[in-house]
Amino acid sequence: MGVPAFFRWLSRKYSSIIVHCVEERSKECNGVRIPVDTSKPNPNEVEFDNLYLDMNGIIHPCTHPEDKPAPKNEDEMMVAIFEYIDRLFNIVRPRRVLYMAIDGVAPRAKMNQQRSRRFRASKEGAELTEEKQRMREEIIQRGGYLPPEEIKERFDSNCITPGTEFMDNLAHCLRYYVADRLSNDPGWRNITVFLSDASVPGEGEHKIMDFIRRQRAQPNHDPNTHHCLCGADADLIMLGLATHEPNFTIIREEFKPNKPRPCALCGQMGHEIKDCQGTAREKQGEHDQFADTMPVAEQEFIFIRLCVLREYLERELTMASLPFPFDFERSVDDWVFMCFFVGNDFLPHLPSLEIREGAIDRLVGIYKDVVHKTGGYLTQNGFVNLERVEMIMHAVGVAEDNIFKKRKEDDENFKRRMKEKKKRMKAEHQAPAYLTTGQFAPQALGGRDRPQPVHNARHQAFDMRMQSRDHNNRVSLDSCGRNWKSRSSAGPSDSSDSRGVKRKAEDSDSEPEPEDNVRLWEEGWKQRYYKTKFDVDVTDEDFKRKVVKSYVEGLCWVLRYYYQGCASWKWYFPFHYAPFASDFKDIVGMFSEFEKGTKPFKPLEQLMGVFPAASGNFLPTTWRNLMTSPDSSIIDFYPDDFAIDLNGKKYAWQGVALLPFVDERRLRAALDDVYPDLTSEEVKRNSLGSDVLFVARSHPLCDFIQELYRAQSNEGTEFPAELCHGIQGTLNLDDDPILPDKTVPSPVPMLRDISQNSAVGVKFKDPQYTDGYVFKAVILPGAKIPSKVLKPSDWERSGQGPWRPQLGFNPNRQQAHLNQSAFRALGFTYFSGEPVSVITTGGYLQCEHATSLIFVSPESDKLLENKLLAVFQRMQRSSDNSHPV
Amino acid sequence: MAEERSGEDIVSEYLGQNPQLAQWVETFRGYCETNKQWVARREFILRNMEAFPTIEQGTPSNSLDRLLSLSMVWANHVFLGCRYPQAIMDKIKEMGEGIVVQDAPVRTTRDEIMAKGKRSANAGSDADSCVKRPKSNEVDGRSAGKTAARPVNQKSGPLPQAPAEHQPFFNRLYKAVAWKLVSAGGFGPNLDHFEILRSCVESCKQSLSCVIVPLKDIPDLPAGRTQKEGHVCELRCQTVYMGTGYGRDEAAARAMASKEALKVFQGRKVAVKICRRRYRGKDVEDLMLLDDQPRSQGFPPALSYPFQSEQLEDGSS
Repeated sequence: MGVPAFFRWLSRKYSSIIVHCVEERSKECNGVRIPVDTSKPNPNEVEFDNLYLDMNGIIHPCTHPEDKPAPKNEDEMMVAIFEYIDRLFNIVRPRRVLYMAIDGVAPRAKMNQQRSRRFRASKEGAELTEEKQRMREEIIQRGGYLPPEEIKERFDSNCITPGTEFMDNLAHCLRYYVADRLSNDPGWRNITVFLSDASVPGEGEHKIMDFIRRQRAQPNHDPNTHHCLCGADADLIMLGLATHEPNFTIIREEFKPNKPRPCALCGQMGHEIKDCQGTAREKQGEHDQFADTMPVAEQEFIFIRLCVLREYLERELTMASLPFPFDFERSVDDWVFMCFFVGNDFLPHLPSLEIREGAIDRLVGIYKDVVHKTGGYLTQNGFVNLERVEMIMHAVGVAEDNIFKKRKEDDENFKRRMKEKKKRMKAEHQAPAYLTTGQFAPQALGGRDRPQPVHNARHQAFDMRMQSRDHNNRVSLDSCGRNWKSRSSAGPSDSSDSRGVKRKAEDSDSEPEPEDNVRLWEEGWKQRYYKTKFDVDVTDEDFKRKVVKSYVEGLCWVLRYYYQGCASWKWYFPFHYAPFASDFKDIVGMFSEFEKGTKPFKPLEQLMGVFPAASGNFLPTTWRNLMTSPDSSIIDFYPDDFAIDLNGKKYAWQGVALLPFVDERRLRAALDDVYPDLTSEEVKRNSLGSDVLFVARSHPLCDFIQELYRAQSNEGTEFPAELCHGIQGTLNLDDDPILPDKTVPSPVPMLRDISQNSAVGVKFKDPQYTDGYVFKAVILPGAKIPSKVLKPSDWERSGQGPWRPQLGFNPNRQQAHLNQSAFRALGFTYFSGEPVSVITTGGYLQCEHATSLIFVSPESDKLLENKLLAVFQRMQRSSDNSHPV
Repeated sequence: MAEERSGEDIVSEYLGQNPQLAQWVETFRGYCETNKQWVARREFILRNMEAFPTIEQGTPSNSLDRLLSLSMVWANHVFLGCRYPQAIMDKIKEMGEGIVVQDAPVRTTRDEIMAKGKRSANAGSDADSCVKRPKSNEVDGRSAGKTAARPVNQKSGPLPQAPAEHQPFFNRLYKAVAWKLVSAGGFGPNLDHFEILRSCVESCKQSLSCVIVPLKDIPDLPAGRTQKEGHVCELRCQTVYMGTGYGRDEAAARAMASKEALKVFQGRKVAVKICRRRYRGKDVEDLMLLDDQPRSQGFPPALSYPFQSEQLEDGSS
C-alpha cells in the first residue's frame, strides 16, 4: 500500500509513535563470541509477550540483500535468516509466544499484484544479468580488474512463492532452527513457538491476524497481552489498529532512503554498475582486515507504538455534539477504512487521492463534516455501510476537479523550482571561463619580489590566445570523437551531422517527458481517462457501473479481510484502474454478499497463476509446457513482454503493468490434464499443510504433547488454556515429529545436528467458530489502556511546570546525566549549529547538526552510551519537544 | 469504412440466424471486457472456429479452450499491448487477418521503455548497442527495405527507440521551418510548399525522399472512390513519414504532400511516434511525424515501408 509513502506520511505527522530500539550486542572475549542472554530484562524497558514475524519481510532481504553482497548459496541464505531472527528475538525478547508466518497461497484478490511483481522481477533479473555480462566483457577488454565470476546460478527471487522447493527447504530449516534454539537458548526456554509455513494458505500477516482474532474471541485470552509484530508493510499498522488490542507495537527496519548500494559487478561501493571501471579494490584498513565488515552502518530497528498512534487519532477524530454517542473505537475503524481509498494491495487507488497530497487529512476532514449527515459510522466490525460511504465519496467527488488542477499546478511549480535550483547549483560550481596566465596570472598579495615589470606583453598575449584556442580545439575534438563513436554505425548520412556541443544542448532541451494523454487538469478529463485507460466512451454507463461495482465489492472485501478474515478466496478486482470518486453513485445495492465456501488455490496452481514463463523451471515439465506451447489452452496468461502505463510516473517500475487476468476455469481445466504427471514429492508440496507448535521440555505444555504422542491419539485434542497463558487451539499429531531426545538432523551442512534435542512439535489449529460468527472490533473487558504519552493539550494551564516528553516505553525512564563540562560542550555545539560527532566507548555516533567531542570515561558502560543516544535523538526531534536538553 | 461495417454486420447477421450459437458464444465474454473488445474477439472466435473441428457447440472441450486462449492472446496483443513468443504471434496474426479494429489503443511495452532508458544512459559510451539501432540511411521508394544488419528474428517495423533517436533532428527541423515561414510571410496557400520544406530539410543536412505512385496502383483505397486518375506522393525524411498528397500530376502531388507535411509544423511542437497504419493491406507500425493536436481521423495508407527486412517482405507480397 504505497509502502514508503504511507509510512513516511504517518511518521512525519505523528512523530512520537516511533521509538528507537535499544539493541544489546553480543560481546567477544578472547575470540569467542558470548551470546546475549535474552532471558534478562529487555533493555528497551518494556516486556513483550508475543512476537509475530511476517517472515517474507525477512526472507527477501536475507536472500537478495540490496546493501551487501548476496549470499553464495541456499545454505548461506538460511543462516542469514536464522541470524536475522536471532537479532529480532534479542531486541524484542518475547516471554510467551513467537509466531513465524510465511506467506502461503494468497487470496485471488492479491494475485494480480503478485503476477505483476513476478513478471517484472523476472525481466529485471534477466536485464541485470545481461548488463553485468556486457559490462564485464567491456571492462576486461579495457584491462580492468574484476573479481572472478562466481559459478552460481542467478537467484531468482520468484522462488519465494509457496509451492517451490526453496520454500519447502526453508520450512525444514526453520523447524531445525526452532528445535535448536528451544533446546539451547535460555531466552527461549518458556516460550511457545508457532510456525505457519508456506503450505498453510493465507498471507503471512493475515495468518497472524487470524491467530490474534481467534485467540481474543475466546474467553481465556489475556486482554493485556503485549503484542509485537515485525514487518515493514504499512498495512501492518492498519492491521494492528484493527485488532483493538491496547498493547500493540510494530517493529521494523528504520527506513533510510537512498542508501548506498554496492556495485553489482565488482562489489565496491560508490558507483553503479554502469559506471564500473574495474579498478582494483581499495584495501579496507591497513592490511585489508576490514574487508568483510560492512561499509555502511548496520540497519537499525524502530518500534512503532500503536497505542500512541491511537492517542493521536483520538485527538484528531473526536467530535463533540454528535447526534449519536461518540465511540472512539468505531471511528478508528472508519479511519482504517478510509486509508484503503488511498492505497492497498488489492485495489488501485482512486486517481484523486494521493498520500503525498494529504489525501488522508482531506478524507478525515470530509468525514468529520459528513458524519453529522450520515447519522453513524461507516463501518462496523469490518462490514461497510454503503449509504454512508456514498456520502463521503460524493464529497470527494465534488473536490476532484480542483484536486487535479492543483496537482498540475504544484507539479509545474516543483519543476520550475528544481530547474532554478539546478541553474543556481551550476552557477556556483562554475569556475571562471578564462584566466590570464604567465606574468598576467593572478598573484597573491605580499609575495616577495612582487610586483615585477611586465616583459614582452605582446608575446605573452599571443601565448595566451594560442593556449585558449588549443584548449577549445581539444574540447570540441573530444566531443566530436564521442559523437562519432556513438553513432559510427548509424549510417553515413548522419556523419555530417556531428555538430558536437550544440547538438547536445538541443537534446537536453527535449528531455523525454512521459506523455500524458489524460491531462486530468484539463476540461474533459473524465472522458479522456475512460477512453485511454479503459478504452470506452464516457457515455458507456454500463461499463462504468461495472467498474464502480467491482470497486465497491473490493472495498467491502478488503475491510472484511482485515477484520474478519478472507471472505472469498475467489473474488478479485478485474480492472487495471480505479474509477473516480464522483462515479460512486447509487452504490447501496451494489454489494450484498460474497460467494460462500470458496477454496484457495493449491500451491502449484497458484504458481501457474503468478509466474511468467521465464520462471517455469520451478514447475514440473508438463506444467511448464503449458506456459510456452502454442497449443496450450492457457497460453494467453504468459506474455513475454507487456505494456506498462507510466500513468504520470517516471520509471517503469512505478507504472501499471497491463497484464492479462487469469481465467480460473480455464486454468483448472488445463491443469486437470497434467495433474497425473506430478511425482509423489510434488504432490506433497502441492498439498495444504498445517501450523506447527513447538515448545521446549521445560514448558508446561510439553508433557501434555508427549502424552498425545504416546497415546497415538489421532483425533484433534484441545489443550487446556491454563497451560499456555490462556492460548487455545486444537492439536494433531505430526507425521514426522520433532520429539525430545530424538536427534534432529541439520539441513544445512555448516550447522551441526541437534543430538540433545529437548523440543517437541505438534500440529496446531486455531480455535474454530461457527459460520457467520462475527469477530467484534472492540476493546475487551479487563483491558487496561496504557498511560498517555502525548502532552495534554491543557498542560500549560495546569501549571505543573515544564513538560517532559516521553522517549521510550518507560515513562519514568532514567534521564542521562552528564557532568557540567559535558553540558557546556553540548550547549555550545547545539547552539552553534555545527555538525557534532560524539565518540562513545562503543562506537562512533553522528548527528546531523553535529562538532564537539565528548569523551566518555573508558569504564563507562553501554548504558551511558544509550543515554547519550537518547539525548541526541531528543535533540534531533527537538521540534516535538518544548524542553531541550 | 464500408468494409469494416460489413465485417461487423456479417457477424451480427450470422449470429441473428443462429440464436443458440449466439447465446453460447456470449458465455465466453469476460466480465471486464468492453463492448468494443468483445465484438472484436467474438469475430476472432467465430472466424476461426472451423479450424477446430473438434469443438462441439454447447460443450466445453480442450480444443475450445485452445481457441479461447488464442482469442485472448490476440485481444491482449491488440488491446493491452502484450507480446508473446514469435511462433504464437505469427499464429494469431494469421488467425486475426481481416478483423478490423478501429483505433486500437497505442501501448508502450516494458521492453520498449527500458530500451529508451538504456539508450540515453549509454549514449556515447559503448559500441555494442549501436548494432540494434536502425540504419537511418536515405530511403527513396525503390531502395526501401534495404535495412540489413538487423537480427533476423526481429519483428519488422521501426525499433522502439527510433522515435527518440529521430526526435532531436525534427526539433531542429521544426525551428528551421518556423524561421523559413516567418521570412516567407507565414503559412498560406500561395507558397511553394515543396521548396520550403526541401530547403529546410537540406539546411538541416538531410534530404527529403518522395515516393510517387499512380493512384490506380494503390490497393487500400476506400471502395467508393471514383477517381482513378492522378498520382499520390508520400514524403519521408530519415525514414520518418511526414505527409501524403494527391495531385493530377507528380509535381502537384508532391506540392500537396509538402503542404500536408508543413501543416504538422503549425502546432506547438512536433513529435516522432510509432503509429499503426495500413500498408499493402496490412496493419503495420510506422514512424510518423505528428503535431500536438489529438487526431480525429486515421492516417492514409503508407506507400513505402522502409523498415522491413527482406525476408518478411517476401512473405507479405
